[in-house]
Amino acid sequence: MKIAVENGCFGYRKGEQLLQNVSLEASDGELVAILGPNGAGKTTMLRCMMGFLHWKSGRSAIDGKDIRSIPQRELWRTIAYVPQAKNTSAAYTAGEMVLLGRSSRIGVFSQPGAGDVQMADQVMERLGILHLKEKKCSEISGGELQMVLIARALASQPRILVLDEPESNLDFKNQLIVLETLSRLAAEGMICLFNTHYPAHALQRAGKSFLLCKDGSSIFGPTREVVTEANIRRAFGVQAVIGEVETPENVLRSVLPVGIVPEDWNEMEDAVVRSIVHKIASITILTNDYGMAGRINEILHRYSELIIGRMGMPYKKAGVYFITVALDGTEAKIHALGDALSLLPGVSVKTVFAREEEGIELYG
Amino acid sequence: MRAAVKQQGKLSLGWLILLLILPVVVGFVALGIGRIWIAPPDIFSSLVTKLTGGEAVSAQNDMVLWNIRLPRILLDMLVGAGLSGAGCAYQSLFANPLATPDTLGVASGASFGAALGILMGMSLLGIQGTALLFGGAAVLLTWLAGAGKGKGLNTIVLSGIMIGSLFSALVSLVKYTADTESELPAITYWLMGSLDSANFGSLKLGAPPILIGLILLLALRWRLNLLPLSEDEARSSGVNIRVLRGVVIVCATMMTASCVSMCGQVGWVGLLVPHICRMKFGNNHLSLLPASISLGAVFMIVVDTLARSVSAAEIPVSILTAIIGAPFFIILMRRSGGWSL
Repeated sequence: MKIAVENGCFGYRKGEQLLQNVSLEASDGELVAILGPNGAGKTTMLRCMMGFLHWKSGRSAIDGKDIRSIPQRELWRTIAYVPQAKNTSAAYTAGEMVLLGRSSRIGVFSQPGAGDVQMADQVMERLGILHLKEKKCSEISGGELQMVLIARALASQPRILVLDEPESNLDFKNQLIVLETLSRLAAEGMICLFNTHYPAHALQRAGKSFLLCKDGSSIFGPTREVVTEANIRRAFGVQAVIGEVETPENVLRSVLPVGIVPEDWNEMEDAVVRSIVHKIASITILTNDYGMAGRINEILHRYSELIIGRMGMPYKKAGVYFITVALDGTEAKIHALGDALSLLPGVSVKTVFAREEEGIELYG
Repeated sequence: MRAAVKQQGKLSLGWLILLLILPVVVGFVALGIGRIWIAPPDIFSSLVTKLTGGEAVSAQNDMVLWNIRLPRILLDMLVGAGLSGAGCAYQSLFANPLATPDTLGVASGASFGAALGILMGMSLLGIQGTALLFGGAAVLLTWLAGAGKGKGLNTIVLSGIMIGSLFSALVSLVKYTADTESELPAITYWLMGSLDSANFGSLKLGAPPILIGLILLLALRWRLNLLPLSEDEARSSGVNIRVLRGVVIVCATMMTASCVSMCGQVGWVGLLVPHICRMKFGNNHLSLLPASISLGAVFMIVVDTLARSVSAAEIPVSILTAIIGAPFFIILMRRSGGWSL
């Protein structure tokens, strides 16, 4: 399954262009972040994409079929929408709320049956909120309500999940719970698209990102190429540093805003671009699990275009296997390789970049 | 395992039976109450002879029971059920706890129609007909004034208030021009609400719209849960929310206009009973709507029986609904610690 926006243009008033020629695409198992400053039109973008608003030109399509030609009932069995938690107020219990998600699968004059109730219970159990079932939605916390709304969306057994700022207004723990849930759903094959204020969340979770600027321009591509310091500066007007934090298991990327860019700065800048900085780097891989060598080779083979040299050495005495590869390629691809390797169990990975002048070229 | 899949908000069997039986039992007892007291066993034996076609025990009792009280109690049930069902639907539709069956101006329109009918010296059935007609016209006007692309439901509520006040002013105009000896008292009395004109003829005209509306709303009762959700949420349910809203408005309008056309403005029932039910049954229409309808009927029978039997002269029923309803409501509200829509 694939959902795409093709050259969408939209403005609320005549002559005003909020969204200009936006395009994006997501297929099975992809987690896509939609980024942009306040007022740039992220929510409008989602609403146009799902057909709540009509594109002035361009279209949204599922598997190549225009969304407006798909009957509503069928459409909403495929897509499910999770609104911002603050916009809902109905005082149903969590169980009743989740069950409402079955609407598109229940006849007009019928009531939900035992199967529907079971489905709703299963979804709540999977998200770990079954204990909230009897509680009123007006009396649970914001984080819990967000999970209830996600459960309601999942109850319709969709293939595509669209979330409007699912993690804003939540504390650290609840943000992690929501983001973990999204990652898990994507890993299970769901297409997840979410609006977010946090570039760091895009970097940590989303394979692809869509970045929207106030002037209506936008770019879409692999997160590594879209969420760069230069693009954050242009889109948000914020000088930011993208840093890495090493944890025992993984390397996490985070975005640290350091200052506001003066207004006149923007005038000297072009539109946002995908980063294709070429870098020279080396990746060192250590593993004490010989069985992993095969998997490592498989991944290296996939990125063979980057590799300009490699060295492998078993050190049997300590049971450790060393691999070092020398690389030449775009920063994004080098990072992607590092990420892929570090996801293997029992493998340590470290990427080192050669110092170099920074240069940016227009993509394509 | 069966208990594990029990659906929340569904009426338990006990409640279902109670809600079905209660209006019948209360109505049966109310049949006996009035200036002539008839004990339930006598009602029962009269009913049996009536059904089996035997010799009547007391012709006078039969006359009172089946020609005067029965149509009136049937009317009570219909009006109570209709107004409280319509109120419940409107409150959810507008996500507004203050919505009543009159929110879209139905009752004001119907009142104007009735006043006009009285002024023109029409028969009771004629008055009922004009009331129905103008009730529908008022809602149509409200819809034309308030609905439109990109306008929210609040615009419709506002234009309902405007159209309502317009028709209230027209009622005053009719009253002003009415003959103070005969027509004005008739109009005033009618406006206060009275069920004493009940007969099978007016029921034949008034009952079908109420019954059809009730049956449709009951069939859609689980869908009604989508109404209070926000626009995008409701649309993403895959249900055509605009059609659903339209059906609910048509049903509730039809029911209210028909009630008002038969017995004038009976205030409070449509606000009071659904809220009492919300406190007990929650907001899930699976149980809320049947409960509102059943208890609305019961409430109306009780209030109207009091209205016609407490004093020698009949008390207008909307006075009693407020006098009994308001304190009862406040006590319940304080005991239940409030609720939300």
